[in-house]
Amino acid sequence: MKKQAFLFGYGLKGRSLAKGLKEEQFRLKIIEADVLLQQKAIDEGYLDVKLMDVTQDSALERLEIDEESYIICVMEDEHLNVFLTLSLRSLFPNTTIVAISDSIYTTQKLNMAGATKVIDLYQVSANRIHNILRRPVATKLLDSFVSDACEISFREMTITEASPLDGKMIEDIDFAKEGVLLLGMIDVELSHKFIFITSGINHKLDAGDTIVCMGYNQDLDYFEKKMKLEYTL
Amino acid sequence: MLSELIVKIAFWLHGSSAYKRVKGFFFDLLSNPDYPYKKYLDSLMIFLILTSVGILVYEVRNPVPEWMDFYDIYIVSLIFLIEYLLRFWVYSDVHKLIVKEYEQSRFLHKPFSIYVPMKRALQEKLQYITSPSAIIDLLAILPAYRPLRILRIFVLFRVFKLLRYTKSINQFVEVLATKRFELFTLLFLLVFIVLTAGIAIYVFEESENPSITTLFDAFYWALVTISTVGYGDISPVTHEGKAISMIIIVTGIAMISFVTSVIVSAFSEKLDELKENRMVEDINKNEAFIIICGYGQMTKMFLRQEVKMEEDYIILDKDPERVKQAVKDGYKAINEDASRHDVIAKFNIDYANITILCLTNSDVENIYIALNAKSLSKDIRVIARATDERMQKKFYLAGVDHILLPNEVSNMMMLTAIKQPVMYNGIHAILTGQNVAHMDEVHVFAHAKLIGKTLEEIDFKAFKILLIGIQRGIDGEFLFNPDKEMVVEENDILLMMGLKISIAYFKEKYARSYL
Repeated sequence: MKKQAFLFGYGLKGRSLAKGLKEEQFRLKIIEADVLLQQKAIDEGYLDVKLMDVTQDSALERLEIDEESYIICVMEDEHLNVFLTLSLRSLFPNTTIVAISDSIYTTQKLNMAGATKVIDLYQVSANRIHNILRRPVATKLLDSFVSDACEISFREMTITEASPLDGKMIEDIDFAKEGVLLLGMIDVELSHKFIFITSGINHKLDAGDTIVCMGYNQDLDYFEKKMKLEYTL
Repeated sequence: MLSELIVKIAFWLHGSSAYKRVKGFFFDLLSNPDYPYKKYLDSLMIFLILTSVGILVYEVRNPVPEWMDFYDIYIVSLIFLIEYLLRFWVYSDVHKLIVKEYEQSRFLHKPFSIYVPMKRALQEKLQYITSPSAIIDLLAILPAYRPLRILRIFVLFRVFKLLRYTKSINQFVEVLATKRFELFTLLFLLVFIVLTAGIAIYVFEESENPSITTLFDAFYWALVTISTVGYGDISPVTHEGKAISMIIIVTGIAMISFVTSVIVSAFSEKLDELKENRMVEDINKNEAFIIICGYGQMTKMFLRQEVKMEEDYIILDKDPERVKQAVKDGYKAINEDASRHDVIAKFNIDYANITILCLTNSDVENIYIALNAKSLSKDIRVIARATDERMQKKFYLAGVDHILLPNEVSNMMMLTAIKQPVMYNGIHAILTGQNVAHMDEVHVFAHAKLIGKTLEEIDFKAFKILLIGIQRGIDGEFLFNPDKEMVVEENDILLMMGLKISIAYFKEKYARSYL
């Protein structure tokens, strides 16, 4: 089943996000408060575009957003965006809400308004400049992960009970030989936090744990099959 | 016959790259403030000057040992003479004038005369000889001629030579030069008053006052009085003389306060500029530095990311308000327009490794700055911010090395956050360089311990480091998850992930060079 994403705002940020989400095969619903931007979304080929006053809770309620969906708040008007995040959170307490912020102050406000994740436009960009300056090779590599063009990528995989990895210690497995690198894992026994392999603790792998590996896509495919892992998305 | 020979020599010099190189080297050494080795020559010259003046003072009361005299006469003067001749040589190119004139006359089919270019060359060289700094240089050499004792005092001109090697005195003179008109007017007024008052006191008191016997005494008195110094060795005795004193004392006070205010205002007007120039000079001393254009959100964020920047940096902004804010926030900022040619040219583009970050929020401006920088030197690295991807092509055409699309970067993060929520945290940690997942590059420099070792021999696990890949050379191929048998070579870049301290320890242990 395709996942549902609600995109609030079709401004500069919204436009490229919409494109990305469409490519990722999301069922996309665009909501705009501005007539011109709504028209623009329709003109650019999006079918499910709705014009509404996002300050009205009753209108938001009618959207029927369930817990499995994603809400993305990228309204052009910063104040409206924070207000919308707050309204959505109060209406849908368990749905994932992500927002993009234009400044540190807004980031804080969006966090307080209940956004699950806030991406600070300037922070990530500033980081990028640092990375270009300090770690050009790493940057090139990281770039390629997120753009699907490259053969090397990250993959999250869950260990099944049938997997030969079940019950083994991490140190006993030579991942490099299989052409993949183990970056880290989520141990359901301990916590649901992501643990980097470099933190230096030797974990025992159990069924249900999620491991994150890096490698060429074909090697990852092969590894997944061989170890009877489940590709989680 | 002779002229033919001269033309031949001129053409030979014109075509000789060695000659050009040597001359360029001396020009840089003597006159190019950005040349890294110039400071050594400057220091040497300052040392020579100070010792020479020191000897002059010492000599007043003590007999000078022979070696000191020898040093003062021959070594110092000889070096000064060489410097003078070198400056004379590099000031202009005679051969160029000859070649140009020769080619022009060939083109126009008119008879070539060696005298025309020679006259121009002579004029140019004369221009150098008569320039104030060259005159001071020449006078500073004169004390070497011992038979004339009076020439000893020219050692003091060596002090004036300091002007050449110290910037602050130069700046002082430059600032005063901006008020040339006011200062000259005042000087003229001063001369006028001293002359009239001097003549008046001479006329009134020459017969009455025993201390005023010549016109020179009268002028001396007038100047001492008007300057409010008033030694009192000569004082008026007649009523007329006292009246004149009163008048010139009053005008003297007025004039001194005027001169003071002119100088103070000249400095306060130039103070910001002087400070900014000093900042540029300071940053130019670095081998590598970053020029950040625009002090907006992005720049603030960028600077806040790192507690201490590895390279030196400077912020340029057109808006004085924002520059004020930046200075208030504790950053080095100057009020300049980076899209202007002369602004970027002020930086040490020939010798330093410069990175320019165009972070203003206007695409037009960022492209313009990038073009400006690239037109000055292709070696300047430019990282520019663009508002949307349609602009990307234009930025690449402008020669920008890296383009930053804030929207794209944040969208990428957003999509990852939705698609792979767990990995989002991972990538985020890596991107922001958080402690636990520090991704770093280790450059293998010449003579590092790593060279020649296979990857198996290097125990990455012991350091709790994950080797992700190796890049061969700066622009080489990136090898992901390399084979254990692979041997590390010079100039490799090892990409690894681990705790910050792990990587720091690894670098200390392995990547440091033997030397």
